[in-house]
Amino acid sequence: MSDNGHAPLLEVDRLVMRYETEKGEVSAVEDVSFSIRQGESLGLVGESGCGKTSVAMALMRLAADNARYKSGEIRLNGENLLALREDEMRARRWNDISMVFQGAMNSWNPVYRVGDQIREAIDIHFEPRPTDKEARARMTRLFELVGLNPAMLDHYPHEFSGGMRQRAVIAMALSCDPQLIIADEPTTALDVIVQDQILKELKKVQEQLGMSLIYISHDIAVIAEVTDTIGVMYAGRLVEYGPTLSIFHSPRHPYSFLLLSSTPSITGPRRKLAPLEGEPPNLLDPPTGCRFHPRCPYATEVCSTTVPELEDIGGGHQVACWHWQEVPVSIGALQR
Amino acid sequence: MTDLQIKPPAEVVAPLVPEAMWRVRLRLFRRTFAQNWKLFARNRIGLIGLGVIGVFALMAISHPILMNTVWQPNVYDPVQGYHAVSVEKTVVVTVTDPNTEIDLATAAVQSNPFVQVGDVISIPQQPAPPTFKPVEGTTRSGAVVAASHWLGTDPLGRDVLSQLLYSTRSAFFLGLVAALVTVFIATTVGSISAYFGGGLDTFLMRFADLILLVPLLPVLIVVSALFTLTLPLLGLVIGILTGFGGTAIILKSQALQVKVKPFIDAARIAGGSHRHVILRHIIPNVLPLSFLYMMFTVTDAISLEATLSFLGLLSIPMSWGIMINTASSQGYLLSGTDFWWLLLPAGMAVSLLAGSFFLVGRAMDEVVNPRLRRR
Amino acid sequence: MAALVFVVPVVWRGYCSLGAWARLAALGLVVAGLFIGSRYASGLFRLIGGRLAQGLLLFITFLALVYLLLEAQPGDITQQLILNPKLPPEAQDIMAAQLGLDQPLPTRVVTYTTNFFCGELGFSFSQYPQQVAHLIAERLPRTITLFLSATVLAYFMGFGLGKVLAWRRGKRGETAVTLAGVGMYTVFYPWFAILMIWFFGYILNWFPIAKFTSVDTWSNPPDINGNILTPNYVFTRLLLSALITTVLIVMVISLAQRLPTERRTWPRRVGILIVLGLLVGYWATSVMAPYAADILHHTMLPVITLASVTFAGIMLLTRSSMLETLREDYILTARAKGLTDADVRDRHAARNALLPVVTSLVLALAFVISGGIITESVFSWPGLGSQLLGATLSEDIPLATGTLGIIAVLALIGHLVADVMYMYLDPRIRYS
Repeated sequence: MSDNGHAPLLEVDRLVMRYETEKGEVSAVEDVSFSIRQGESLGLVGESGCGKTSVAMALMRLAADNARYKSGEIRLNGENLLALREDEMRARRWNDISMVFQGAMNSWNPVYRVGDQIREAIDIHFEPRPTDKEARARMTRLFELVGLNPAMLDHYPHEFSGGMRQRAVIAMALSCDPQLIIADEPTTALDVIVQDQILKELKKVQEQLGMSLIYISHDIAVIAEVTDTIGVMYAGRLVEYGPTLSIFHSPRHPYSFLLLSSTPSITGPRRKLAPLEGEPPNLLDPPTGCRFHPRCPYATEVCSTTVPELEDIGGGHQVACWHWQEVPVSIGALQR
Repeated sequence: MTDLQIKPPAEVVAPLVPEAMWRVRLRLFRRTFAQNWKLFARNRIGLIGLGVIGVFALMAISHPILMNTVWQPNVYDPVQGYHAVSVEKTVVVTVTDPNTEIDLATAAVQSNPFVQVGDVISIPQQPAPPTFKPVEGTTRSGAVVAASHWLGTDPLGRDVLSQLLYSTRSAFFLGLVAALVTVFIATTVGSISAYFGGGLDTFLMRFADLILLVPLLPVLIVVSALFTLTLPLLGLVIGILTGFGGTAIILKSQALQVKVKPFIDAARIAGGSHRHVILRHIIPNVLPLSFLYMMFTVTDAISLEATLSFLGLLSIPMSWGIMINTASSQGYLLSGTDFWWLLLPAGMAVSLLAGSFFLVGRAMDEVVNPRLRRR
Repeated sequence: MAALVFVVPVVWRGYCSLGAWARLAALGLVVAGLFIGSRYASGLFRLIGGRLAQGLLLFITFLALVYLLLEAQPGDITQQLILNPKLPPEAQDIMAAQLGLDQPLPTRVVTYTTNFFCGELGFSFSQYPQQVAHLIAERLPRTITLFLSATVLAYFMGFGLGKVLAWRRGKRGETAVTLAGVGMYTVFYPWFAILMIWFFGYILNWFPIAKFTSVDTWSNPPDINGNILTPNYVFTRLLLSALITTVLIVMVISLAQRLPTERRTWPRRVGILIVLGLLVGYWATSVMAPYAADILHHTMLPVITLASVTFAGIMLLTRSSMLETLREDYILTARAKGLTDADVRDRHAARNALLPVVTSLVLALAFVISGGIITESVFSWPGLGSQLLGATLSEDIPLATGTLGIIAVLALIGHLVADVMYMYLDPRIRYS
């Protein structure tokens, strides 16, 4: 964790968000808190449906119409985003927080030129509106930054390859100099080599421009590559939170432990993969107490009755588990 | 589609005692039906449509029952029945009270050409307004009877309610014929075209384009000039034209999606003949969509029949369209609210029944195409 | 392009001087030329050349089928002639010569099919010795006006309302409007048209209830260039000025497009205003003004009636197309960029939802054509639809089939227009 003494850029404070459906409330984000400073990067990891994308959407206030923010605050530079009027929030989007989406392949509107779509964001957020020449110069710089030929600005999305489209998406995300970029599984749909290039590009750009980054993925190995801090989410709750190295090398929550040991390692010694058994819980009717207890090998009576709070176990490493001390300290196999 | 595909449940995969195949099929059918019904029932608009169709079905059933029990055929027969109340009117030069007086020119037309001013003539009141109390009047044979007309009589002295109920039956009959023919042809053409591809596919699809080129109505108008169109024939023509046309194209694209599924290859590798694969694997997976298009065909067939009847192009004894045609040819087209029972019941019936099938089709669409479903 | 104007009539005259089979060969050459030409051409023609050839082929087949249908009816067409008291005996000879009735069946089919392209549609049975082509030509502009204005109106209204409906999914009023849309879509159209006439023409007395012109206005028409003013003359003028206005407005808009974005609005508005001003000025100062107004007054109710039924289908389609578009990722991107709801809806969602709606022009076309026939019959509007009906009812076979053929041509043109529009709107097809 790079503590540079500044006040946090973004603070999420005990956020609770639920979706109202015909069948009842879906508890998608439950009591989640974290913070991120200028220039820092945070990774959110978990199975699909664990609420990580819901957190991202909540930060942009773009969650589906049936989402209800029950309690908690999202503070950007000390200002609660959830209390803003819709038009005030609109001015924050892309300007302060921008996003690289999960389905980034389809992030482009097929009927407009890529340059025009970037220009659209620039036109909204810059005051006064930049002239054609200024906007063009800016977009050229952005394309060069992400390693694309600026001539491609005049092309339509279908003329780009998958990797190029993703680079262009990153360029668009950078177009208004945001303080924070949220990248939601930006590389999932790409092949491994392109995935790696994009990842490096993202990291490079983030460091160059000194922005903060929230990186969301189901793949903890990818997250470890780009982030300083990791938050592990399970069924809408943050179960473990701390410096990347610490969590990657000695996860203390049984879920993180199983998540890591179910990932094969190419470089380490051979070991048996510990499978993560069972299905993620139904969030319409989540388990009582610790939400992981039905699948947890360490579960006892207390786990099913009382919700464990995040507890600091030293070095900024926090874990929400009654039995974290029973979890093996290190899985050496994961060390690179 | 996903919901309609048959997923083998656990107990079917490894039965302890070999079970008859038809029983397994029946059980699977019941299960998918129950699932789909649940999805369908969530759509209130679809349920409304189904309810309206049910009401019309009751109306269709009630006509023969009523004719056999309560209604005398010489009064209530939708085509031949006649019952008119005579009204005494004085022939005058200028009419001050249209209920008791009639001008000379009209009287000459309606009674006999030799009437004179001052004569009292009896004029049959047709169309007669709705009445729930039996009124005395004469039938065509001259017999005096008392009968009530809940929806009045038409300009020819026939009971409108009886016509309305009778026409319901022909509407269902026509819809059924057209829909069955359409589905049979379209499913066959679509599956064959998708499965074999190549020249046959090109030929069938160009043929579909040809049929789609000109809308059904003008084609049917010209056909009616060349041939005598009866109800079954009309159903057949509509069925053939929609079956080889648009519906075939839609079902073909569906069959194409089925064709590339692994179980088709599996069936081929296991030694299934083309016939077997098409009949057992492709068609069952296309059928849900076929049923959907059946609903839309019924909508089209009902409106087309009514339109053609309205234009006077069909040789059908009675239908909703003919009811409106009668009103219009007798000069009651713009009578508005004064003679509402001549136009309103028939017009509403066509619109409602056609609309209900359309609504059911739309609701089925949401079951069959999960992407349309709300979250 | 300009050369075409001179070349086409010459080629056409040449074609018409040929015999039946030679004409077929010539048509075959045209089809092949279009196919091959589209391979090597560039621009618009590359995209539509093939479609054009396909359409032509389709149309030739259609005509052949129509003729076979004629042959399939009980008794052949000459018997109809003998039985028809209105026709003189020599009519039979003319007919037999034109259709080549002494020839074998294939030649007869080819003769009928290729005759169509020369406008040799025979004479009308019910209005002997009028030529079918002449009767059709007289009514064609009116029908095109009815179809075109109803389609355009329906598209504007249907698309505008449909996209708002989808945006408001699940909110109050949405279900009601959707239900009303379904009601309009499936309403028994003749009945609806009667209701419209009754309400707007009879009760409110806003519009005349039928026909194309009113007798009072036209009782004493002035002379124009030595000829008595006829409704058709005024009507043609009206159409022509509408066409010129449209072209001028398109020119103004595309000229304005060359200016920088923020300086476009005013020149565009002023330009359009000037063009409209010229249009109004021309008609206001013309002697034809009251007559034109009379025709327009008669046109309004049929167009509104036809459009309001066609519009419902387009609205429902736009709604479902829009609902699908709204789930796309780029909609989320657009919202994340901080665009206002209206911009997301109109610039991003609606623009893409438009694509399937344009494809469905074919569907709307079927609606407009079928509806047009009913409209013309109910409103006694002297167009192709009422001609088709009249011909059918009086068993005037050449007129009926000829009119059907022209309706097919209109449909074919509609399909082509839809194709071209789709290509224009979807860059994935334009640049591939």
